[in-house]
Amino acid sequence: MVAKKGARKSKARKTAKKKTSKAKARKTAKKKTSKTKARKTPAKAKAHKTSPEPNMAMRLTFSYDGDDVKLVSQQRTEMIVPPSDPLKGYAKHKGFWAEVKNGSDKTLYRTVMHNPTKNDAEVFPDSPGGFISRQPAPKRKGVFVVVVPDMDKGEEVTLSRSAPDTEGPTIGISALATEPAAEILRVKLKK
Amino acid sequence: MANGQVLGATKIVDAGPPEKRWNAVIVSEGYRSDEMPQFEIDAQLLADTLMSVAPFDRLRAAINIYRVDVTSTESGAKDPKKCNGGTGAEPKTFFGASFCNEGIRRLLKAKNGRVKDVVEKHVPQWHMIFLAVNSPISGGSGGPVATYSKVPGGIEIAIHEMGHTAFGLADEYEYYSGCGSDEGHDKHSTSEPSQPNITTNKNRATTKWRSLIQPATPVPTTSNANCANCDPQPSPVAVGTVGLFEGADYYHCRVYRPEFDCRMRNLHQPFCTVCQQVIVKKLTPFLPS
Repeated sequence: MVAKKGARKSKARKTAKKKTSKAKARKTAKKKTSKTKARKTPAKAKAHKTSPEPNMAMRLTFSYDGDDVKLVSQQRTEMIVPPSDPLKGYAKHKGFWAEVKNGSDKTLYRTVMHNPTKNDAEVFPDSPGGFISRQPAPKRKGVFVVVVPDMDKGEEVTLSRSAPDTEGPTIGISALATEPAAEILRVKLKK
Repeated sequence: MANGQVLGATKIVDAGPPEKRWNAVIVSEGYRSDEMPQFEIDAQLLADTLMSVAPFDRLRAAINIYRVDVTSTESGAKDPKKCNGGTGAEPKTFFGASFCNEGIRRLLKAKNGRVKDVVEKHVPQWHMIFLAVNSPISGGSGGPVATYSKVPGGIEIAIHEMGHTAFGLADEYEYYSGCGSDEGHDKHSTSEPSQPNITTNKNRATTKWRSLIQPATPVPTTSNANCANCDPQPSPVAVGTVGLFEGADYYHCRVYRPEFDCRMRNLHQPFCTVCQQVIVKKLTPFLPS
């Protein structure tokens, strides 16, 4: 009886040892694989998991005439773009921003902008001690540029903007808009 | 027929390859070909000034600056008589720069689309464009191209506009046309602005730049006692103190700026700490690893 017990214990120890060394072997194999992967994959690419080419960006040029905004062109360029602005908590914010969205309409990147389609202008002082001010400039039209990272899951770019107030002392002036921003344009990204 | 010629681009501040750095481009307008040496000096002045301004002075390794030389047939910029003080000058310039846009004498603008197209051919990785206009008349404008003229303070206009265009910073002045001449600028709406340097949130624990407000700094740091007017009180705290100072975003009350003064409030002031932090965050990825 004692001999059998001893034999069972020894078997159990051997099995445990086998399991440990198998587990060790698996860990070592994993380490080797990830080291190999790391050698093949540049460090930059690992930092931007959603982007096939880490330093590629899309430059989108828009034109505006009054409130109308249109996409003029898109150009892929090798360049870095600044990091994203907050991706949460801005639903009720006022202002102007651009977002990169994936196929499920999730925001992947966001850049807050000083409204480039404003219908007023900053006026600078004549002398160094003077103050900056603003004046309405209702016929403003022109172009502006949005640069976003070229993300492999990025499908569309949206622009959101607070609409000018329709009543009250701030009526019609986009810089004085009081309401939260709403989407004004959505464009598909070139692939 | 073009009123001038694009000569080419020169890198005047070199921090590395353009695809890895933040690239500012200074373009000439209203300089004849014999005036291009002056543009070289004027562009270098903007570059040197920018690189001496905090926080750009400590981000040198992230920034390239280029000069794009464009000649114009004649000097200066259009200065229509229809605006008070306008001389009627109509020089032939490459980008068609003119004062007196929309009846505002100091609103100096050029054909920004054309400026952008020229820059893209020479510096496709541009992040910010400045248009230096060879005119002694005070003026400027913002938008995709920060346009400024050769007056003392012209460069200050350019850098303020860069704060908007490149870094999304809001204006921190608390009026629209001027203190004492505004109506209806008493109280900001309750909607939180998206820009990082202004806020309607005066809760110390949750406000945008809460991590920069020292426990001993009162919050709000200033309160406007009469929302019908700009707040006349001087700062009750030391220069450089971050807090919640009432008045910003063209309104007297219910909206706050981070320091008493800042380049986004008045020209010839440094960027405040919060604005600097925004700039640093945006430019950090451009530093060499």
